Amino acid sequence: MIWRFGLFDSTFAPLLHTHWALLAALGLPLLLGTLAALFPPKRAWPVVLASVPVLASGLVLLSAYDQAGLLRWQWEIADIHLSLRLNGLSVLLLLMTQVIGVAAALYTPGYLRLSETGPLARWLWPLMGVVLSALSLIWLATDLLTLYAGLELMGLAAVGMLMLSGKVPALVAGMRYLLLALVGSLTYLLGVALILGHWGRLDLQGLAEVIEPGPVAWFAAALIGAGLALKAALFPLHAWLTPVHENAWTPVSSLHAALVIKASLFMLLQLWSILLPDTFYAPRVIAWLGMLAIVWGGLLAWRTDSLKTLVASSTVAQLGYLMVAFPLLLGPDIAPLPRALAWEGFWLQLMGHAFAKAAMFMAAGNLILATGESTLKGLAGTSRRLPLSLLVFGIASITLMGLPPSAGFTAKWMLLQAMIITQQWWAVAALLIGTLLTAAYVFRMFRYSFDETAPRHRYQPLAPGMDLIALTLALIAFALGLLAHFPLELMHGGSP
Amino acid sequence: MNAAWLPMTALATSLLVVVIIFALPEDARRLRTTINLAAAVVKIVLVALMVRRVAAGHEDIFSFQVIGGVDFVLRTDALGVMFAGLSSLLWLCTTVYAIGYLEGSANRKRFFGFFSLCVASTIGIALADNLFTFLIFYEMLTLSTYPLVVHRGTEQALNAGRVYLRYTLSAGVVLLLGAVLLYSLTGDQSFSSEEGLGNYLNDHRGLLTLIFALLVGGLAVKTAMVPLHGWLPRAMVAPAPVSALLHAVAVVKAGAFGILRVVYDLFGIELSVELGVITTLAVAASITIIYGSLRAIAQEELKPRLAFSTVSQVSYVILGIGLFGPFGTVGALAHLLHQGLMKVTLFFCAGNYAEELGIHRIDEMDGAGKRMPLTSIAFTIGALGMIGLPPVAGFITKWYLGVGAIQAEMYWVVVVLVASSTLNAMYFLPIVHRLWFRSGPAHGKGSWPKEQRLGRFETHSWLLLPMVFTALVSLGAGLFAGLPFSPLDWAARVASGEYLP
Amino acid sequence: MIASFDAIEVLLALFLTASALVCLFDRHLVRACCSFVAFAIAMTLAWWQLGAPWLVVAELLLGVVLTGLCFFYALGRFLPGTSSRLKRDTFSEPWSRSAIRLLLALAWFVMVGAAIRYVIVDMAFSPSEHPLLLAGVLIAACALGAFALHRHLLRRLLAFNLLGSGVFMLLAGVAGTSAAAQALISVGLLVAWLGSMLGALLIRQLLHLEGVEALGPDGEPREGVT
Repeated sequence: MIWRFGLFDSTFAPLLHTHWALLAALGLPLLLGTLAALFPPKRAWPVVLASVPVLASGLVLLSAYDQAGLLRWQWEIADIHLSLRLNGLSVLLLLMTQVIGVAAALYTPGYLRLSETGPLARWLWPLMGVVLSALSLIWLATDLLTLYAGLELMGLAAVGMLMLSGKVPALVAGMRYLLLALVGSLTYLLGVALILGHWGRLDLQGLAEVIEPGPVAWFAAALIGAGLALKAALFPLHAWLTPVHENAWTPVSSLHAALVIKASLFMLLQLWSILLPDTFYAPRVIAWLGMLAIVWGGLLAWRTDSLKTLVASSTVAQLGYLMVAFPLLLGPDIAPLPRALAWEGFWLQLMGHAFAKAAMFMAAGNLILATGESTLKGLAGTSRRLPLSLLVFGIASITLMGLPPSAGFTAKWMLLQAMIITQQWWAVAALLIGTLLTAAYVFRMFRYSFDETAPRHRYQPLAPGMDLIALTLALIAFALGLLAHFPLELMHGGSP
Repeated sequence: MNAAWLPMTALATSLLVVVIIFALPEDARRLRTTINLAAAVVKIVLVALMVRRVAAGHEDIFSFQVIGGVDFVLRTDALGVMFAGLSSLLWLCTTVYAIGYLEGSANRKRFFGFFSLCVASTIGIALADNLFTFLIFYEMLTLSTYPLVVHRGTEQALNAGRVYLRYTLSAGVVLLLGAVLLYSLTGDQSFSSEEGLGNYLNDHRGLLTLIFALLVGGLAVKTAMVPLHGWLPRAMVAPAPVSALLHAVAVVKAGAFGILRVVYDLFGIELSVELGVITTLAVAASITIIYGSLRAIAQEELKPRLAFSTVSQVSYVILGIGLFGPFGTVGALAHLLHQGLMKVTLFFCAGNYAEELGIHRIDEMDGAGKRMPLTSIAFTIGALGMIGLPPVAGFITKWYLGVGAIQAEMYWVVVVLVASSTLNAMYFLPIVHRLWFRSGPAHGKGSWPKEQRLGRFETHSWLLLPMVFTALVSLGAGLFAGLPFSPLDWAARVASGEYLP
Repeated sequence: MIASFDAIEVLLALFLTASALVCLFDRHLVRACCSFVAFAIAMTLAWWQLGAPWLVVAELLLGVVLTGLCFFYALGRFLPGTSSRLKRDTFSEPWSRSAIRLLLALAWFVMVGAAIRYVIVDMAFSPSEHPLLLAGVLIAACALGAFALHRHLLRRLLAFNLLGSGVFMLLAGVAGTSAAAQALISVGLLVAWLGSMLGALLIRQLLHLEGVEALGPDGEPREGVT
């Protein structure tokens, strides 16, 4: 398990231009965000221009990994080891972050122009930059200090973004999120303190070698797990998620649901695979919670009347799919085949969900913006007037339902196969029921949109490209299903 | 020589059409019509090419790796090409019909987009070479038919759509479970593999039976086998071309075709017999045949009666499988084609009566033969075929099925066939009688519910032509069954491939 | 055992605990914020006592000055005209709720105590020698209880800050004052400050939009509080 996270020594040292690419990947979003705060872009083309070097840095890192395998950077400042690593997984997640980040940034100017956003709008750009930089840092970092800094930076910027809309419910929900996130980070910090106190180091690679199971590791894992689960909105700590999304701006919701909560989950899995590589119960507890999450999140989304709540609640259920895979990734005596299948399925599901959820939030945002209604009933007749937004919503929801040929389907296929081999029938049932529940709430929404008997009212026209950006993201999620081989191949490489 | 481009192009044409139609504006009616028809013709040419290559003994394979151990494979083989031929031929007819039928109505872009997607899915289903690929297109079919069912956007249509999804998506989940179980047991299993699953019989008998039950159970929903048929009569609220396509080709036939694939190509007929599931299948099919006919008699509206007739007729295909012998197989395969042709004709007729005269109920049909002679002749041909009277195609099927049953010494099947034919006659002949021998509005007695004069002929010529064409083909398939490349000939070719390795 | 305690440390620990309790439970908000500043200054001294020079600087700058400023900003002390709106918060919780929160705090206290006693045997600063650590555990427990108990947003923010300080103290106790630990705590202080700043901005915005009542409930129905 450890090697999968790239916690081993690299064969080659990074080349000079790789250093620059790394610097660009980590720093550029922040820099560009600050610039945009000073000169807020009114149209999409400056954003296009700005996103080229960001994406280029990701591609350079990809090719660097392709050529040299695992890359590693280490610094030692006043007795503190800081280290970064670039393995297949982190390249993939980095690219995913950049693509979704760029899409959200491209979507923003049009959105801000069309909706009444108030004077706070310019602050969205630097906060977005911070979130993207911090995310990139989290995918790469391999010491607990950097991870902590990245996590907190991301969390605080995310809270800031979510509250920008300035409405009272948004502020109240945001405040609750802020306080919970801060308490979560303190819990995490206590866990780290235990590790530091007992083993005297913070770098993951070193820790992976010295940590042996025992009460300290369990305690630390429990504390870290609780803190991160709170931030990742894992069931049953998800209650803050829906109110926060209900009032947030569309690009913000996209980024948050697609990426921010995934970062906590990524860290959770990474740290637990070091702290609890062979425990039997902890991953099973997570899996049981995941099953409940699938059902509960699905029911929430099914019963709601608000479009944004539907999309946000479905995140709870979708995270359940990932949680259910935990016993296949962590634990004693897992055969190599199901473990490999579950590992690939897990990340494919995560990526597919990220792209699809970002697209879905954008499509939902477009529908709400155009109709001026945020309830499902307000969508009546949209299939005639806003077919493209609805189509995007549909394509994204195919991924969420896990129907072919989307990434969600391929991921579900792999997870199911792994579960069947290890005979975890409960998890199989949960996954299949999840499909049906997802279909239930998605088609409930479509049912309203196909209603032709509803009265017509005026629709606000959308900015050009707003639908196309969402469509692109949805299609990426779609294409990842059949073309899953390429990203998964990337994760195979670099084994020692 | 492997012409990998051929199956790929056949699929890509339809998919490309979908993209173009969605990209075109709603008002670009002419362009959309042109593209639709051109693509349909191109598709027929491509399928004809495939038929020729398959007849010459080539097998074209297109494949790439999706994940480790699972490939996406398209392959042209006799059975697949047969289904592709049926779907592409009827696509052309239905497209022409739909263009005429939807003249001037709203949301045509959405309709034709999903319509093309539906057909692309059936081509994919036909050419899929393993269960994974099959599943992809099978689910795609489910999703692409939903907007067609709810097309009218009325309360009734939306409820029908919900029922449809409940059935098909649940079935999809069952199917997925079966497929993953199979892959966990055997790895990637191609439909063309010679080995079959016989090697696993000794160690995994129970599991194999379970997988068979899951797969066939999942497929039986689309096949509308009792008791999983509830969605089909309700889906009748859809526009007539959709009913024609859904009922004649796309959805129910996809299910029946899937069962054919599972029994013949995945498990192999010997293994299926060994597992003892074949007889169960035959019994289930018989129950469906009788039950569907009985329910059809009770219907007072035309389209629901046709729908229950479909429930009954499609299961002849399954019954043919259950007979375990070359004649049964030939009958099953030929019926796949024949029933498609005849049923599509009947639905076209029903659509024409509804459009031109506003007729929905059967008791409103008195004397319609005088007002709409061509439509009524076509309807009569279809109805006679359904009953199984010579020389229409339906006779051939029932003949082969009967011979198959006698060869297999399953005499109760003969009883079922006779009973079913009688029932068919009981619900079709009264309609024919009303059409021709009762006097109605055309004879100056009362008036039609909602008469429109849609064209120079008895109705709009776009509505008339495809119907006449399919009626002639149904007749021709029966009359010239002995010629090469007729449905029967091709079915015999497929069957000989299954029974003579 | 008591004899081994350093007198200054004992005094400091007592003062920390006392100021924390005042900060958490005094109904007068300005006084609570003042006592928070006093608490932070005491924390600075405590870090000095534990031999963590970097943390002295960080606590002084981030904890005392910047976080303190945040609270006074939230109270509206810098804006003329709006200054008198936030003075005290009312407290009308049913006793059952308070009891549950008290139990929560006690449970936390016992859990951490047990963890320190039995699991982590080799602590850098043993609580039997350093009363500051005992104070840290106590403060964290109280702050957690208060965090769960209070509904007033400013109170919860204060409680979070004290919880943070308690946790940092615990961290220093477990991990010592090595460079890594100091760095972790510094980052933690920075985060706490940023969080407080964000919270203070929010509180001002809510006050501006909705008035004092908005601060009472926390995402719960408005009627629940009045």
